[in-house]
Amino acid sequence: MEFCKNKLKLKLDFVNDFDLEKQARDLGIKIWQTPSFLFIVFGVTAVIIMLATYFISKNYESPEVLVIAECLVVVVVFIVEMLVNKFIVQLTRLNKMKSEFVSIASHQLRTPLSAIKWETELLLTKFKKGLDKKQLKNIENIYSINQRMIRLVNDLLDVARIDQNRLILIKQKVDFLKIVEEVMEEIIPKAKLRNIEIEIDTKKELPMVVGDKEKVQIVVENLFDNAVKYTNSGGKIRVKISKNKQYLEFEIKDNGVGIPEEQIGRVFEKFFRSDNATRYQTEGTGLGLYIAKNIVEQLGGKIWFKSIENVGSVFSFSLPISR
Amino acid sequence: MKRILIIEDEETLQKALAQYLTEEKFEVLSAMDGEKGVEIAILEKPDLIILDIILPKKDGFQVLDEIKSNNEIKKTPVILLTNLESMEDIQKAFEKGATTYLVKSEYKLEDIVKKINETLK
Repeated sequence: MEFCKNKLKLKLDFVNDFDLEKQARDLGIKIWQTPSFLFIVFGVTAVIIMLATYFISKNYESPEVLVIAECLVVVVVFIVEMLVNKFIVQLTRLNKMKSEFVSIASHQLRTPLSAIKWETELLLTKFKKGLDKKQLKNIENIYSINQRMIRLVNDLLDVARIDQNRLILIKQKVDFLKIVEEVMEEIIPKAKLRNIEIEIDTKKELPMVVGDKEKVQIVVENLFDNAVKYTNSGGKIRVKISKNKQYLEFEIKDNGVGIPEEQIGRVFEKFFRSDNATRYQTEGTGLGLYIAKNIVEQLGGKIWFKSIENVGSVFSFSLPISR
Repeated sequence: MKRILIIEDEETLQKALAQYLTEEKFEVLSAMDGEKGVEIAILEKPDLIILDIILPKKDGFQVLDEIKSNNEIKKTPVILLTNLESMEDIQKAFEKGATTYLVKSEYKLEDIVKKINETLK
């Protein structure tokens, strides 16, 4: 059964490879520029060469045919080669531009964001004398909006790194429970504001896991953020951490808006946001789960979920226990 | 009173950090480029140096090299405070002798002061 499925998948992949229109759309190029089209041109050229050889060997007494045929073949091969070269140069240049963008964005965007962060922090802590409650609230709002912007820039940078296979994770022994507790400390006040209760079920003594502290924290934050964002006021979020053979498993269950059945397969896609999610909550980029999946898998774990629209979702992931 | 030298070319960031540190009872010295930074470090011998990487005249790595090769100040702890966070930059910083590496946008001033106090202990 599994073999049949794989065979069918291979066949579908093969058919998809020759869907020139889709390929052109995906890569943002013209149909005649797609790799598959060029592959076909190469194939046809090979057939022509074979036919020409056959034809010439039968009529070898006519050298002019040989010359014309060879000229034609050389011209076709030359044109195709030129096109392929041109696209490779274009692709390399694009890739280089993308890397440069990542480093420029990382420095140029973060510098003013850091300045806003520190200036507002100064006002909220050291220089708050003389400011009334309303003014302090305004500054707090600026601070938290700026934090959102920093997070967005970080997400975009992470996605760019994932796309270039340059997301480097430092694998080390990590106290997973401590990370979850730190994230909860930040998230509980936000949840309280919306009258959402958060419950945690875990043992106090848990083994260390293999992870990159900051990146694992991003995964936990993303899952908590989603649960709070898509749960109605008065809702409940339940978190469970348990040991399962060589893995530590984290599970977060909410009774929020859930994901429509027809969109379940797209949840981990980059920039994907389900229709009901966009209706319910306009804020969100659709990058959180894409980043989470890449981090977890790169660390040797797995991420999965169950969801029913209007009932809720359960997101889980596992990380290998450190030996 | 402990003396901290901030080598940072972005004026807003430099002033915000200096104001916070002054409020926390540190004496603050400042340099807006790498060359001046090395000069002040040698002349004033601060207790700790906070160093950016992208700087005019001499970048943070050059400054770090010069600090670590000067017998009089080579033991001064250096905290790199930057918005670059590639693995290569972090590795290079530690190889050259940085004590800590912090990403500006990820750290509150309060947390930077905590790191400074931990380093000075």
